[in-house]
Amino acid sequence: MSEMSDILFEEARRRLSQVRNIVAVTAGKGGVGKSFVSTSLALALAERGKKVGLLDLDVHGSSVPIMLGLKVEVRAGTEGFRPVRKHNVEILSIGLLTKDSPVLIKGKDKMDLITSLVALTSWGNLDYLVIDLPPGTGDEVLWVIRVIRNLRSAGALVVTMPSMLSRSVVRKSLRLLVDEGIRILGLVENMSYFKCGKEEIRPFGYGSGEDLAKEFKTRLLARLPIEPRVEKSMDEGYPPYLASNELRTTFSSLAAAVESLLQKA
Amino acid sequence: MHEWSLAEAVINSLIRLAEDRGATAFEEVEITHGEIMELDTLVFRTAFRELSKGTLVEGTRLMLKEEKAKFKCNNCGAEWDFETVEKILSEEFSVIEEPSGTKESALHFLPNLAPALLKCPSCGSRDFDLASGKGLRISKVVMRT
Repeated sequence: MSEMSDILFEEARRRLSQVRNIVAVTAGKGGVGKSFVSTSLALALAERGKKVGLLDLDVHGSSVPIMLGLKVEVRAGTEGFRPVRKHNVEILSIGLLTKDSPVLIKGKDKMDLITSLVALTSWGNLDYLVIDLPPGTGDEVLWVIRVIRNLRSAGALVVTMPSMLSRSVVRKSLRLLVDEGIRILGLVENMSYFKCGKEEIRPFGYGSGEDLAKEFKTRLLARLPIEPRVEKSMDEGYPPYLASNELRTTFSSLAAAVESLLQKA
Repeated sequence: MHEWSLAEAVINSLIRLAEDRGATAFEEVEITHGEIMELDTLVFRTAFRELSKGTLVEGTRLMLKEEKAKFKCNNCGAEWDFETVEKILSEEFSVIEEPSGTKESALHFLPNLAPALLKCPSCGSRDFDLASGKGLRISKVVMRT
């Protein structure tokens, strides 16, 4: 008869289908700044007056609570888990439940964990849900693919950085998305440059974002500067994308571009 | 209080099942629930009754069967039960239930989190399996066509 994974997977899918737009932030490569992009995009969408949720599905390396200085206990009501509200964004992260504990969860158990978490979370009335995914093309990514595959207003934003290694690994993620019929909204190239006076220095080289966008017939939606104050923001308790005016402007434009792309769905 | 969310998911699943099989109602439904979920059966029954009103699940005879939890360590081979878990479970990993404000272990909501929240009571390893008693399933249905 029906197992928990089937019962709750349908419930998870039903709950996510009630969200107007879903943006899954992914990349094949670790350390390129997916959580920074997810968090900043969610905050930028909220700043534009949208009702936004941020779901951190990085089971083993959850970063969103650290990035936003969240140290709270999760609450639950009859409708399920209640996301934590900060900076006008509804946030839920596995990291809020596991704290500093290592998460040694394998295969099907991981899929079932994500299924239960989503099936038991009440997001309310959201315009956007941004999903932060871990590196690679593992269970978490597959889970999201299965859920958003048939949703009209959903897509993936792929983060890369300007290095040959990143280009090679991120290409695999892009191929997976194409093969599985997931709409690619565009690319974001993080750590792209820093400014020295008026000059733009590119310490990691050129091309990853532009090349991949061309290869996969999509758009490079944003190039993000290297900004040392992003790290400092986590200690000082302000959202990382407010670390500089340049970042704030870039994320605001990225949010506008994502809105526009999803409206064309 | 996750009983309400679970009851809703079960009812929706039963409705889909009935539609697939061309059934018009259920005589009886048996739900097997893992011990680790600590399902409050009274709350689940209430939620099931209330949420099924006006659906083809309304009026179904609901049977609830608990499945005992069994843990086995892959490192030292130790086996233990849920009674042991209750003694070693840290309050650090809690969810606050509203409106009562009482603390419930995150494990009751998400049994698959066990290796993140527990260690083997014998050797301290997190490499263990939860062989049974973690989930919830529709184990038997009697339908009317």
